[in-house]
Amino acid sequence: MNKSTRFTRRATLGLAAAATALTIGMVPAYSQAVTLDFWDMAWAGADYVTTAEAQVAKFNAENPDIQVTYRNIPWSNWYETFVTALASGSAPDVSTGGGFQAVALYGQGEILPVDDVIAEIGDDFVPGSLDAMKYDGVSVAVPWATSTRVLFYRKDILEKAGVAVPTTFEEFRAAAKAVTGNGVYGLVSSGDAGGMHWIPYVTLANGGGLFNEDGTAGLTSEASMTGLGILAGIVADGSLNPASVGYVNNDAIGSFGRGEAAFLLSGALMPSQVPPEAAALIGVVPPLKGAHGEAETLHFVNNIMLYKQTEHPAEAKKFLKWWSDNALPLWSEGKVGNLPTRASVAADERFASNEFAQAALNEYEPIAKTLSEAKGGTFPALNAVDGDGFLVSLVQAIWQGQPLDAVVPTANDHLTELLAE
Amino acid sequence: MLQSTARNRWMWSGVTLLIVLLINLPIILMVLNSFQTTEQMLASRNIIPNVFSLDNFWALQKTPFFTYLRNSLITSFGATVLAVAAAILAGYALARYRNKLLESYAAALFGVQMFPIILALIPLFLLFKPMGLINTPFSAMIVYAVVNLPFITWMARSYFETIPRELEEAALIDGCGPIEVFFRIVLPLSGPGIVAVSIFAFLFSYNEFFVANVFLRTKEAMTLPVGLRMYMEDNITDWGGLMAAATVMLIPTLIMFAFAQKFITHGALTGGVKG
Amino acid sequence: MTAAADSVERKPWRSGARATLTPELKTAAILLAPSILLLAVVIVFPIVQGFWFSLTNGSLLKPGKFIGLGNYVELLQSPAFYHSLRFSALFAVCNIVGSYLIGLGLALLMQRDMPGRGIYRVLLLLPWIVPSLVSIVAWRWMVMDDKALFNVVIKAFGGSPIFFLSESEWAIAVVIMIRIWRSVPFMMLSLLAALQTIDRSLYEAAAIDGATRWQSFWNVTLPQLKNISIVLCLLMTIWTVNDFDTPWLLAQGGPANATETLVILAYRSTFARNDVGMGAATSFITLFILMILVFFLLRLQRRSA
Repeated sequence: MNKSTRFTRRATLGLAAAATALTIGMVPAYSQAVTLDFWDMAWAGADYVTTAEAQVAKFNAENPDIQVTYRNIPWSNWYETFVTALASGSAPDVSTGGGFQAVALYGQGEILPVDDVIAEIGDDFVPGSLDAMKYDGVSVAVPWATSTRVLFYRKDILEKAGVAVPTTFEEFRAAAKAVTGNGVYGLVSSGDAGGMHWIPYVTLANGGGLFNEDGTAGLTSEASMTGLGILAGIVADGSLNPASVGYVNNDAIGSFGRGEAAFLLSGALMPSQVPPEAAALIGVVPPLKGAHGEAETLHFVNNIMLYKQTEHPAEAKKFLKWWSDNALPLWSEGKVGNLPTRASVAADERFASNEFAQAALNEYEPIAKTLSEAKGGTFPALNAVDGDGFLVSLVQAIWQGQPLDAVVPTANDHLTELLAE
Repeated sequence: MLQSTARNRWMWSGVTLLIVLLINLPIILMVLNSFQTTEQMLASRNIIPNVFSLDNFWALQKTPFFTYLRNSLITSFGATVLAVAAAILAGYALARYRNKLLESYAAALFGVQMFPIILALIPLFLLFKPMGLINTPFSAMIVYAVVNLPFITWMARSYFETIPRELEEAALIDGCGPIEVFFRIVLPLSGPGIVAVSIFAFLFSYNEFFVANVFLRTKEAMTLPVGLRMYMEDNITDWGGLMAAATVMLIPTLIMFAFAQKFITHGALTGGVKG
Repeated sequence: MTAAADSVERKPWRSGARATLTPELKTAAILLAPSILLLAVVIVFPIVQGFWFSLTNGSLLKPGKFIGLGNYVELLQSPAFYHSLRFSALFAVCNIVGSYLIGLGLALLMQRDMPGRGIYRVLLLLPWIVPSLVSIVAWRWMVMDDKALFNVVIKAFGGSPIFFLSESEWAIAVVIMIRIWRSVPFMMLSLLAALQTIDRSLYEAAAIDGATRWQSFWNVTLPQLKNISIVLCLLMTIWTVNDFDTPWLLAQGGPANATETLVILAYRSTFARNDVGMGAATSFITLFILMILVFFLLRLQRRSA
């Protein structure tokens, strides 16, 4: 290769490079679509993911200038997932999440309020769901679905023992005791989050709750202790399956489905997880009246939230509203286990024909309160209260039969600590 | 030494068989359960399935199982190559030389081994993110290589201590530089040692959950241990799929150990690690 | 080709304690370079940053204020810390003793010439090879309620069912048993390799002296295994103390925090309580305790070498 050839080659390359640069610069700006990252929790099985992805594809087709990428996030270690993403500046634009995710992250300065989106949607939310989104004068998230705790019973077991469906907590304890024996227990529960729900449920249902009205820790209040006393009583009676301490949610549901226990506190659509022959034998206990004469129940309102790190808030809000408006297929085809918060979706016939959904929507939802009772509203510490494990340890201790005086005050102190942080 | 009669040998074999079965009871249960569908498992609590079906195994194709498997193999092989390459060099140095640098390095290795990796996760995440390594096998590969480095280095060092030095000394006299001696003389002879060391490195990386869970979060990037978790969501655990996936996941490592079993017991861990 | 060839005639490989840039040092440095590079990136940087975290009171998202040794002081005064320290120690000691004794027994067994030995050796590795999630799920099935396998056997012998995961003492026993079960294959493999290298002539000499099987085991085998045994126990201690999977996957440190180890405490602080400072401080204290242990055990080994 001689000098002249090399020069020519270099010149040709230079010309080619210049031409390419010119062409790239001439690409029109409007073909650059806005891309959004949407992280959606694993609300149900494989069918849900397929349906959700199809929904996102539908949005993308209808909105060529906004392209959304869908990602499904598993529940295990979810907080770790989000926090590491946020800490490294790689948060999504929009995500769904549990009941206190938005408010917790809002407290860390990572969430954009969505009052305008809610206003745009208008008056289509089931009663009570919007209140659970309000903190510090703003709405931190759009309600996505409610996870309502319902008390179920086995018709066959109660009939066989000749026991009537209880209407108060005292009757509930007596009924559980009456049916226990011969390999059947009155109550089965778990030693994880599913079992832990008994604590806020039984305390608020008796007029107390995790918190007092003034916002201080309320586990040791008289009303709360009355409620917890019911649980301790059931354990002392021998009506609780002792394996409950080590069970996880699935085990408890499996056991209830096999007819090994008469009562179970679980999500509203739990019967769809047991074989159909068993589901036919399951009934819903009308909300039990507490010691204060009224009936109250527990629910969690899951969120759709918007992140501060988003570079396109307007487009993200548009997608968020669309996701909330077009939620029906997620239930009809995706088989979500929670209940919808959009009244228009809840009115769909799929729910009209499902007796358990109806019971939950009509009997439980109207009197449902969140974890923050008796204070009300939502605040960042609730995420730690729900997630840090001390309530799980408490329910395990109660299921083990440890005396309330020994374990509840410690838990209450821990709760006070969490509030102070 | 005692003379073992044929009857003696068979008796011992029988006793050992019983012990092996007893010890592996949980695993036998797992494999048996992979032949039951999830519905059957929830409906009854039979230990032996009454209906054997291969449904779970066929169903694996519909799940991302093979993506997870591919990722696991890539990550583990990559980590093994990195770790073994670095460890072989370092192990050789530790086996043949003594000086201040090496003493402090050997001590540092203990420190690394003790280090709780949970502490490193967030800083590493923040380090890898701008380099674009998150959700690629490279992030996990690098961390695994480092986490396994101490143990693999010790194994390598033990192995090299058993290789007689005459060959190397002869080569040195003939005028070869020490590095050349390593690559030309020692390395070709180290087959068994390298195999043994590699198998351990591979196994540690293949089964690792915690680190992979932080760095490999998308379905396309996940490895098997993290992917297995996905079969266990709160309300819809796919027990059948989980057991089938776990059974299939075992196969590569079993094959590897069967093949390398001779090398490990003979070569790599001999001599003890001397201080 | 270096000039070292001329002068190296019978020069010993081991150089003196002088750390001058002798050919050995340069060679050693080159050989160590890849390892040191990996370690610097993955370990040194996080250690420094982790230590900084432990001196603040921030969360992962909001950097906190510098509070000096505040986290450490709080930790050393908290009952939860001492509880998890005690349990971590119990966990480690039981594992070492159990897995060593069983591993040694199996190694001796696997030395015997018998049909199928090769297959048995591989099959005995399974508890170690199976991913932790799966083996712990399998164990849970065997113990979790009155219809589980263990209780079926207990009832067959006329006993009343034990709720292993419900009672704290039994849960502790189960988690320790699972940990030993998972550690045995590694101990067996390492001890088997070590047993293979014991000089046969030592046994022959003992036989000539009239030693019984037990005597030759006690006086020949065990002393020869001493060094590697100490190293193995050291490694196993480190791995056990840092083991997150086993207690977490079984019962998340429950029931009622009975099986909470130091690592689980650190994890909870960081991710559930949002307190990165405490999590980091817990990890550093754990590291510190391990270092002391390693130091003493290595001294022991050096003295007996």
